[in-house]
Amino acid sequence: MAHITINQYLQQVYEAIDNHEGSFCAELLSFKHPHVANPRLQLASPEEKCQQVLEVPYDEMVAAHLRCTYAVSNHDFVEAYKCQTAFQSHKEENWALPVMFAVTLDLRIFANNVSEHKLLCSKMLLIQMIFQAEQQLSLMGCFRVRAGIDDSKKWGMLFLINQLFKIYFKINKLHLCKPLIRAIDSSNLKDDYSMAQRVTYKYYVGRKAMFDSDYKPAEEYLSFSFQHCHRSSQRNKRMILIYLLPVKMLLGHMPNHQLLRKYDLMQFADVTKAVSEGNLLLLNEALAKHETFFIRCGIFLILEKLKIITYRNLFKKVYQLLKTHQLPLDAFLVALKMMQVEEVDIDEVQCILANLICEGHIKGYISHQHQKLVVSKANPFPLLSSSS
Amino acid sequence: MNNKRASCRVSHSRRRGQPVERDWRQHHNQGVWREVQEERRQESIPRGVCLSMCPIRELQDREAQNLLHRFEVLSGTERERWPRADPSGVVKEYARPAAGKDSTRPSDLRPPAVLLKTVFYLVDNIAASPTLRPWTEVYDFVFDRLRSVRQDMIIQRVSGADCVAVLERTVRFLIYASYRLCGEPLRLYDPRINDTHLQESLSWLLECYTSGKHPNQEEFQALGLLYNLGSSRATQHTMELPERIRSSPVMHLALSVSRAFMERNPVRLLRLAHSLDFLQSCALHRHLETCRRDLLLIYSHGHSSKNCRFPLHKLAHILALDVPLTNQLCQAHGVEVHGNSVVFSKTSFTEPEAGKLQCAHFHDLVDRKQRDLTVGSIIHGCT
Repeated sequence: MAHITINQYLQQVYEAIDNHEGSFCAELLSFKHPHVANPRLQLASPEEKCQQVLEVPYDEMVAAHLRCTYAVSNHDFVEAYKCQTAFQSHKEENWALPVMFAVTLDLRIFANNVSEHKLLCSKMLLIQMIFQAEQQLSLMGCFRVRAGIDDSKKWGMLFLINQLFKIYFKINKLHLCKPLIRAIDSSNLKDDYSMAQRVTYKYYVGRKAMFDSDYKPAEEYLSFSFQHCHRSSQRNKRMILIYLLPVKMLLGHMPNHQLLRKYDLMQFADVTKAVSEGNLLLLNEALAKHETFFIRCGIFLILEKLKIITYRNLFKKVYQLLKTHQLPLDAFLVALKMMQVEEVDIDEVQCILANLICEGHIKGYISHQHQKLVVSKANPFPLLSSSS
Repeated sequence: MNNKRASCRVSHSRRRGQPVERDWRQHHNQGVWREVQEERRQESIPRGVCLSMCPIRELQDREAQNLLHRFEVLSGTERERWPRADPSGVVKEYARPAAGKDSTRPSDLRPPAVLLKTVFYLVDNIAASPTLRPWTEVYDFVFDRLRSVRQDMIIQRVSGADCVAVLERTVRFLIYASYRLCGEPLRLYDPRINDTHLQESLSWLLECYTSGKHPNQEEFQALGLLYNLGSSRATQHTMELPERIRSSPVMHLALSVSRAFMERNPVRLLRLAHSLDFLQSCALHRHLETCRRDLLLIYSHGHSSKNCRFPLHKLAHILALDVPLTNQLCQAHGVEVHGNSVVFSKTSFTEPEAGKLQCAHFHDLVDRKQRDLTVGSIIHGCT
């Protein structure tokens, strides 16, 4: 592949198209294939040659691809991106879906490269490119074809949607995911796509659910993703875990050290310890220590929600220490002061306790006159998993 | 200049997205992206040369058609059949871009220095005027003319310190207005329109802050956070700010308020709210209703007991309201009051009927802070 001539290359493309060999054709047009390193194919103006061998519209498409290889060899990712957008959609058949997959993937990667290489590249340029990519993908017409099931281009839908998710998450426009999720939910093909695509899909839907504070569905999606993610994709499994862990913790399930060590996520170790012990001080310290990591992953705010669980665990300890069902509010105030919580007074203690009762984490009521928390004699601190 | 391209670039009729996005959306359809790149290289960005607050042509047109605003009319000529324009008071109005209309004529565009001068005029002579009444009309006029200023800025691609100076005052004005006109009837003031423009201007301003040094950045990041309390997007944005900005005292306070809201600790939130300055309180004020409702809900559950009594004056203190208003609030939420005590019960709490509670009656917490601040100093930020 690295040494063939332009004519040999074009001949191979021609045959692949003629025989409707989608996968092979995709390879010939993908940047993951070694042919892109072949200097004989890196041409600035290959249009004439392509027209000699191939028919419309393939001649233009392949010419664009070859111009692209030329651009990439010169590290001109902006130009590469522009060439890549010259691909057009197929009207009828879906044999070329693998081609579309390959092109789309490369398109997104080029857009990423441009934004990273150009240090002065304003956000504006990136947004321009990404919107164009998005439009290009939609134009591929996958959503509108009404062909028969086997031929249907709907098979390309999940792949495209996953690519779009990646883009939306990158530019932080999560609300754009909603119509796509609706499209898949209403599709009858949703369980028939490949496992890899489904794992990716559920990962993003799970993350979106987290962002919307729907923790139960988020747990379902992310757990599915984690369980079905292939054993060898350690990096992907780690990424899923980064989002699954906070959700599980909010529902009361703490991860064990073994898991954290296996996936190199020891940042969660102190957080886990702090929450289960009700140690607010340690929690604040752990969050501050790994702040950058948590913020970058976008989970800092969710981890802050663990404070409520931590309060519950702390107060449960107070209850266990005092061994009575009528607990003086002062005891809780002392506990909070020991945890070096700033500027907290008895009114706030009442509020925190009231909130825990409201959320179902404590069964009981507060008597303001007696300045006491009166808890139920039976199971005053229900299990977290049942009260979330 | 090609007419089609001109009208493409200046499409403000759609209020979605940032100016940048709107700009761009017009182009992608025809793949004009390449053209835009080349165009920029040729530096054909319009540069305004109009040195007055209103282009001469518009002034003459509006005067001739009797379309001058009350504030733009030469005093003494108001009652005449054709009131005369006061050249020192006419300000270019906002006009929707339309096909066939060229919004990029240099003689119609005001350069950045003039735009800033215009903003100062609008603030000092109109918004802060002690005599112009009613303030809803003042607001309408300033709102529209500021929108026109922003339009000129977009057409000329103004950026940097000039842009920031205009936007900061715009944001302060809109936040102040959201408080001052809260409760006015819908036909005089629409809070949703104010909100849309406030969010747009704020986003644009925060975008400007990403390059260069801006002394007021912390103030506006804090205002943005307070105004958008509870929004994950706004909170995440704040978390991604550099450490030195986040650790400034004004941001630290705003973040504490935000945290208290996220943790559902209204007692703490209301206590912290006492430390906010006037404009910050204006930004926060629309969330106070939710905050107080949360407190009554939480207490209804937490103190739910037939035999227990909670002192009314204590509740008033926590809610930062006087006793009669606390009474009113409790009644609206189904919380029973017997004399000086409140009896909380989780079954009796209800959401208030829509429209029953008027936010404007509960403004005391914010009102108190205005004291002797002038409107001018609030908007220019000299407090």
